[in-house]
Amino acid sequence: MFKEIYFFELRQGFKKPATYIYFSIYFGLSLVVGMAIVGYFNTATTDTNTIANSTYAVSEMLVGFNDSILGLVNSVILVAIMATAIQKDYEYNTHPLFFTKPIKKSTYFFGRFLGAFTLALLVFFGQVIGYFTGTLFGLGTDLVGPFHAWSFLSPFLVFTVPNLLLLGIIFFSLTTFTRNTLTAYLLCIILLIIRIVSDTITADLDNKTMAALLEPFGANALQLATQYWTPSEQNSLAIPLSGILLYNRLLWLAIAIAITAISYRKFHFSQFLAPAFKINWFSKKSAEGEQTAIVSPFDSLARLPKVTQVFSWKQGISQCLYLAKFEFKKLIGTTFFIVLCALGIVMMVIISQFMGSMYDTETYPVTYQILEVASGGFLFFILIILVFFAGNSIWRERENRLDELVGASPVSNVVLFFSKYLALIFVLFILLSLVLLTGVGVQLSQGFTQINLTEYMVELYGKSWLSMSITAGLCMAVQVLSPNKYLGFFISLVPILFINILFGLLEWNDKLYIFNSSGPRLPYSDMNGFGHTLPVYYLYKAYWLNIVLFLMLVSLLFFPRGKEKNYKAKYRLSGKHYGIGYKVAMLATWTIAFSCGAYIYYNTHVLHVFRTALEIEQLQADYEKTFKPYERIRQARITHALIDVDIYPDKRSLATKGYYFLKNKHEVPLDTLYINYQTEEDSYYFSELAPDRAHTVLQNDSIQGVKIFVLREKLQPGDSLKLSFAFRLEPNGFSNNNPSTDVVHNGSFFNNMLLPSIGYESRAELSANSARKKYGLPPKERMAKVDDMEARMNNYLSKDADWIRFETKVSTSVDQIAIAPGYLQKEWEENGRRYFHYTMDSPILNFYSYLSANYEVKKDKWKDVDIEVYYHKGHEYNLERMIKSVQHSLDYYTANFGPYQHRQVRIIEFPRYASFAQSFPNTIPYSESIGFITKVDDSDKSKIDVPFYVTAHEVAHQWWGHQVVGGNVQGSVLMSESMSQYSALMVMEKEYGRDKMKKFLRYEMDNYLKGRTSEGKKEMPLMLVENQAYIHYNKGSVVMYALRDYLGEDTLNKALRNYLQKTAFQEPPYTNSIEFVNTLREATPDSLKYIIKDMFEDITLYENYVKDLSYTKRQDGKYVVNMTLGSQKFKADSLGKQVRVPVNDYIDIGIFSNKDSSGEDIPLLLQKIKMDEPLKAFTFTVDREPTSAGLDPYNKLIDRNPDNNTWKFGSTPPPVRLDDKEETTVTIKVGE
Amino acid sequence: MDLIIENVSKTYSNGLKALNNINLTIPKGMFGLLGPNGAGKSSLMRTIASLQEPDQGTIRLGDINILEQKDELRKVLGYLPQDFGFYPKVSALELLNHFAILKGIANKKERSEIVNALLQQTNLFEVRKRYVSEYSGGMRQRFGIAQALLGDPKLVIVDEPTAGLDPLERNRFHNLLSEIGENTIVILSTHIVDDVKNLCRQMVVMNKGTIQFNGTPSQAIDTVNGHIWKKTIAKEELPDYKKAYHVISSHVSEGNLNIHVHHTESLENEGFMAVQASLEDVYFSTITKK
Repeated sequence: MFKEIYFFELRQGFKKPATYIYFSIYFGLSLVVGMAIVGYFNTATTDTNTIANSTYAVSEMLVGFNDSILGLVNSVILVAIMATAIQKDYEYNTHPLFFTKPIKKSTYFFGRFLGAFTLALLVFFGQVIGYFTGTLFGLGTDLVGPFHAWSFLSPFLVFTVPNLLLLGIIFFSLTTFTRNTLTAYLLCIILLIIRIVSDTITADLDNKTMAALLEPFGANALQLATQYWTPSEQNSLAIPLSGILLYNRLLWLAIAIAITAISYRKFHFSQFLAPAFKINWFSKKSAEGEQTAIVSPFDSLARLPKVTQVFSWKQGISQCLYLAKFEFKKLIGTTFFIVLCALGIVMMVIISQFMGSMYDTETYPVTYQILEVASGGFLFFILIILVFFAGNSIWRERENRLDELVGASPVSNVVLFFSKYLALIFVLFILLSLVLLTGVGVQLSQGFTQINLTEYMVELYGKSWLSMSITAGLCMAVQVLSPNKYLGFFISLVPILFINILFGLLEWNDKLYIFNSSGPRLPYSDMNGFGHTLPVYYLYKAYWLNIVLFLMLVSLLFFPRGKEKNYKAKYRLSGKHYGIGYKVAMLATWTIAFSCGAYIYYNTHVLHVFRTALEIEQLQADYEKTFKPYERIRQARITHALIDVDIYPDKRSLATKGYYFLKNKHEVPLDTLYINYQTEEDSYYFSELAPDRAHTVLQNDSIQGVKIFVLREKLQPGDSLKLSFAFRLEPNGFSNNNPSTDVVHNGSFFNNMLLPSIGYESRAELSANSARKKYGLPPKERMAKVDDMEARMNNYLSKDADWIRFETKVSTSVDQIAIAPGYLQKEWEENGRRYFHYTMDSPILNFYSYLSANYEVKKDKWKDVDIEVYYHKGHEYNLERMIKSVQHSLDYYTANFGPYQHRQVRIIEFPRYASFAQSFPNTIPYSESIGFITKVDDSDKSKIDVPFYVTAHEVAHQWWGHQVVGGNVQGSVLMSESMSQYSALMVMEKEYGRDKMKKFLRYEMDNYLKGRTSEGKKEMPLMLVENQAYIHYNKGSVVMYALRDYLGEDTLNKALRNYLQKTAFQEPPYTNSIEFVNTLREATPDSLKYIIKDMFEDITLYENYVKDLSYTKRQDGKYVVNMTLGSQKFKADSLGKQVRVPVNDYIDIGIFSNKDSSGEDIPLLLQKIKMDEPLKAFTFTVDREPTSAGLDPYNKLIDRNPDNNTWKFGSTPPPVRLDDKEETTVTIKVGE
Repeated sequence: MDLIIENVSKTYSNGLKALNNINLTIPKGMFGLLGPNGAGKSSLMRTIASLQEPDQGTIRLGDINILEQKDELRKVLGYLPQDFGFYPKVSALELLNHFAILKGIANKKERSEIVNALLQQTNLFEVRKRYVSEYSGGMRQRFGIAQALLGDPKLVIVDEPTAGLDPLERNRFHNLLSEIGENTIVILSTHIVDDVKNLCRQMVVMNKGTIQFNGTPSQAIDTVNGHIWKKTIAKEELPDYKKAYHVISSHVSEGNLNIHVHHTESLENEGFMAVQASLEDVYFSTITKK
C-alpha cells in the first residue's frame, strides 16, 4: 500500500505542468549562471584561477540559491510541491475516501510525504543539471577542469538534500496541521532571517563559529570551513564534511527528523473532522456563542425603505476610497502581516548592532547607515509582502467565492482594481513608517540624536514608497492576468528578480530596460546631501510608473469579472466596455512613458556615449594596439606644474588653465610629445593644449584622448619646454552610468588625473589575460619585474615626472574653502568668488589633489607644524582623535624615521562617494564614511580606534610614499603601504598597548588569508607584491609586526631610518624592494636570517598547534606544566598549492592564567623556543595555576588555524590533520 | 418590462455545449428554471447576470441590451449565485453595508436604513454582528437574498437557493421569494420540482443546454396527463422494464420498486395502473427522454 500511495503522489506530480515549470526555472537559472561563469556569453572578461566545475564551485552555487529572494523562490516552490501533499485531500474533500480505507497511518503519512519529497528532490536537482550543462560550454577552456560526477552530486547531498528535508517537513507538517500555507511561509521567512542575521554578525570574527553552526542552510558553515582555501584548494578539494560543517548539517538534519517524528505522532486521520487548528493570536475570539435562529414571519417587502442609487464619477471615487479602506484592513489584519512586521523590526534592530563595522568598530548610527544597512532586510521583507499581498488582494474575492456577488454588482472594474492598488500603496506607507520609527528608535537607543528627518522622508516616502508602488502595480497587473495566484507570484518575480540576474550575467545594463531602474545615482552624503541626481531619479520613476500604469490598464482589459477563463471571453466581458476616459488614460500613460523614455535615451545615448563593459574592453584593446609603439619613445618629464583651477560647485563645472614645464632628462634629443587628455565624451572641452615650440600635430584621437605632437626642432637634453592647457568641465545631462563625483555641489574632490599627462599609459591596457587573448594581445605581466631597470626609471605613482615644483591658484564659490597641496600664500574674494593661492616650497611627487566644500576648520599644533582638520559641520565626533593621532605620529616618525618635510598636516573631509583616506603632500583627503562617523568606545577594550589608526597610516605616508618612493615595479608598495601599516601599528601600540594590537592583527591575518583565496592571477610574496591589497596591507602588517618582535623595535627602526636616508627624494632609478629587504637582512642576526626569506621572499605558512597539555601542582605550590606542541611549516606557490618544509624556527611559547580579577590572560611564561622538530614535548614550571598554553600564542606567524595555537588545560585539543605519518615526539625539558 | 433571450448559445473550451440556442421571454413574476445538475441552468443564469459571455445571441431587459450594457443591467440586478462565500471576519452588518456601497447607495442614512430593514426582513437582525462566514446554511442563504434585494432590483436571479435548507427554512424562503415576484422578474433555478410547483407561474425545463419545455406548470402537467403509468415490480426486473418502456422514475417501497412509465397508450393490460400526472412526472419524463 505504501508503494501505491508513494507512486500515486509521484504520478500526480508528474502530471502537473507546474512541476516542469519549477524544474525549468532552476535548470534555466543555473544553466545561465554556469554559462556565464565559463565565459560563454560575449561579456567583458576577468582573470580567475578557479574552475567552474569543482566541488567548491558547485557548493557555492547551490548554497547561493538560499540567499535573499532566491531563498524565497525556493520556499514558494517547496510549499507548492510539499506543503499540500496531505492538505489537498482536505481541500478537495477526498480525505474520507482515503481515511476510510484500511490504510495504516504510517503508510499514508510517509507515502505522501516521501512522494512529495522525492518530487521536490527531482525539481531541485534541476539546479545541478542546469549548472552542469552550463559548465559544459566551457569545455576546452581553463575555466573548467576534469569533470567528476561526485563534484556535482556531493554538494547536492550535503546541502540541498538536508535543506529540502528541513524546509519540506516544516511546510508539510505546518500545512497539514494548520491547513494554511501562510504559517509555512512565515517559518521559512524566519529561517531566512536567521540566514541574513548570521551573515551580518560574522563581521565580528568571534561570532563566525556560532553563526556557522546555527545558520540553517549551511552557507555560513561552508564559508567557515573553506574560508582560507586557496585557488588550488578550491579546485581540488572535496567538501570537508567534518567540524563545524558536519555539526551544522547534523544539527539541522536532526531538527528536521525531530519535526518529522513529532508530526507523525500528532497526525491522526480524524484531525480533518475537527475544525482547523488556527493560529489566532491577534484576533479577538468570536464573541457570541452559537445562536439559535429566531423564527419569525417575514414582514412585507413593501415596507423596505426606498433608496437612491448614484452612479456618478464622484461616487466611483468614494466607492474606490471605501473599498481601499476595506481592502487595507483585510491586508493588515492578518497574522502574517503582523508577524512579518515584528520580524522586520527585530531584524533591523539586530543588524543595526553591527553596522559599518571596520575592524569590528561600529560607526555612529547616522541616518544613511540606518537606511542603507539596517533597513535593507526590512525593505526586502516589504518586497516579499508586496508580492504576496498583490496576489492575495487580487484573488481575495475568488478565493472567498464572493466573485459572483461582487461581479454582478454595479461597480466598475477600474474602481475594484484601483481600490486594491490604493490599499497596497497604503500598506507600503505603513510599512515604511515602521522602518522610520524603528530607525529613529535604534538611533535614540544608541544615544544618537542627530537624526536626519529630511533624509528619512526623502528616502522612505519620496523614493522607496514611489519605487515600491511601481513594483506593486506591476505585481497587481500580473495577478490580474495570471490564471492562478501562485503562477502570478512567479511571473511577478520575473521582472523583479530573474530578469535582473539574467541581464546582469549578460551585462545588459541599459537602465531603460532594467525594470524600475532609478537612473544614475549618488548615495546620500551628509556633505553633499542627495547630490544632483534627484530630478533624474524622478524622471526614471515617471518613466516606469507610466509603463506600469499602462500595463495595469492593459490588464484591466482582461479583468476577471465573472467566471470566464479564456482571455478572449474575459476581454468581451471586461475589455470591450471601457469608455473614453479609459482610452485617454491609456494614451496618456503611453505618451508620458514614451516621452520620458525618449528623453532618457537622448541623454544616455545621444548626449553621452553608451558603452557596454564589452565595448569598453574593446576600446582598451584598441588603445593598446594603436599606441603601444609610443611606449618606447622617450618623453620629456614634468618638472613644474602651475595651474589655475576655478571650481563652480553649483554648476558642477570646472575651468582650468595652466602649464607644465617639461624637461628632457634623457641623453638624446626628443621630437615627439605624447599627451593624454580627458575627452569630450566625458564632458571635458579643451580650448588649449599645445607646447610652446613649433610643432605639428601627428595625431589627435578624440575618443581615446591622445594627442601626439612632433616638434619641429628637437628638444635637446637638459632643455625644457612649456606645455599650456586650458579646459572646461561642463557636465551635460546624465548618462546611463553613475555620475562622476569629481565636482559636486558640496565636497568636490579630484586629483591631477583630470589634467593632461605625458606618455603612453600602460595602465590603460587590458590587464586580464583571458580578455587579452580574446583581442589577440600577448599575455601581460601585472607589473614589471622587481629588477627591471627600465621600469625603475619611473616611480610607481607617476610615469611622467620625478619631483616637481607645484603652485596653484584655486577659486570656488564664496561659501566654500578650496584646498590643494602647498601653503596658502594669499586668500581673497573677487567677483563674488573666493580665491586661494597655494605654493609648495619643497619638491613633491607629481600627485596632488583639489578639494572644495563648505568646511569648518579645527586647528592645533605639533611643535611648529600646523595641524588643521577641515570637516563637515556635525562631524565633530573624532576630531580630537585625529589630531592626537597626527601628533603622536609626528612624534614617532620624526624620532624613528627622519624629519617631516612639510610644516603642515591637513586632514580634509570629502563625501562618501569613495571610502578611503589618501595622502597627498601635506594634504590628507579623508572620506566622511571612515573615521569621521566611527564610533569609538573607549570603555570597550576590544574595540579598535579606527580614526586614530587611519590617521596614523596616512601621516606615515608622508615618509613612506612621499619621501621614499619605489620604482614602478613589483614590491614597491611594500615601502609605502606595508611600511605605513607598520608605522601606524607602532603609534597605536604606544597609545593603546600591545594587547589591543592582538585584535587588529587578527583582522589583518583574516583579511590576508581570505584575500588570497580570490586571487585571480598569482599570489606574490610580500617582496614582489603587485599592488595586491590583501598582501601589502594585511600580510604586510602581520609580517612587519612579527619582524619587529624578532629583531626588536630599535634594531628594525634603525634599519628603516638608514634605508629612508639613503632613498628619500632620490632621482631615478628609484629604489626597489630588493634594496629594502636587503637593508632588513643586514640588520638581522645570522640565526634569524631565515625569517627574512620566509616572510618577504616566499609565501610561508605554519600550522602551529597544541597536541596535548596538562599540569600538576607541586609540594612547594608551583605548577609543573607538560605540553606537547606541534609545528608544521609550508611554502605555497602562487596558486596556493603548498608543500611541507622542515621546521627549524624560533617560535613563541606561552603559558597563561586568567585567574586574577580582570579575567584576562596574563602570561606566566612567554619565551622563544626553537622548534627544530615537528613535534616536541616541553616541561615548564610556573608560579601560578595556569589556564591555557601553547605555541605562537599571539599569532605572529601566518597560520590558517589560529584557534589551536593555544588550548585550555583540562580539555583535549582537536587532532590536527597531518600530511604524512604521525610525528614522533622529541622530548625536551626546560629547566626551572 | 420583459427579459427576452434570443438565440443564446455557449460552448465551453472543453467542447461542452452549455447553452444551445436558448429562446425565452420572461415576464414579471416568478419564473422557474428546472433541470438536473449540469443542465446549463447556472450557465444561463450567469449569462443573464453578465458574468459570462454567450458565443451568440442577445439578451434584453426592457431597453437594456445586457450583453452590451452590462453596467446598466447590474444597476437593476439582484443576484444570488448557487455557490458563494464571504470574507472571513466580517459581520453581516458590515458586509451588507459593503454591498450597499457597491450598489451605489451613496447616502449614508439611506444605506443604514435599507441595510437594517433588509436584515430585519431576512430575520438576521439579531445576529447582524456575527461573522457571516460562521452562519448556518439557512442564514447564509437569507443573507444572500438580502444582498440581492439591495437597491430595488428589477431583475432577481436566484440560483439553487433552497439546496440544503430544512423544510421550515425553505418554506420561509419561498414566501419571501414569492413576495419579491409580485413586482419584479424573479428567475429561480432549481432541480427541486416542488419549488417550481409552489411558486412559479412560468417555467422551463432545461436539459443538456436546451429548453425541453416552456410554459406554465399546469400546461406542463397537461402534456403528460394520461400518459403516466405506475407499476410495482421486483428490483431485478428493472433493467428489463427499462428496455421495454420509457421509465421516468423509480423509487423503493417496502422492498419493491415503484416505477413510473411514460407511455401515450394504455398500459393497463401490462399490469400498469394509470396515475394522475404530477409536475415531477413531467420533469422526469422530460429529462429522461430517449
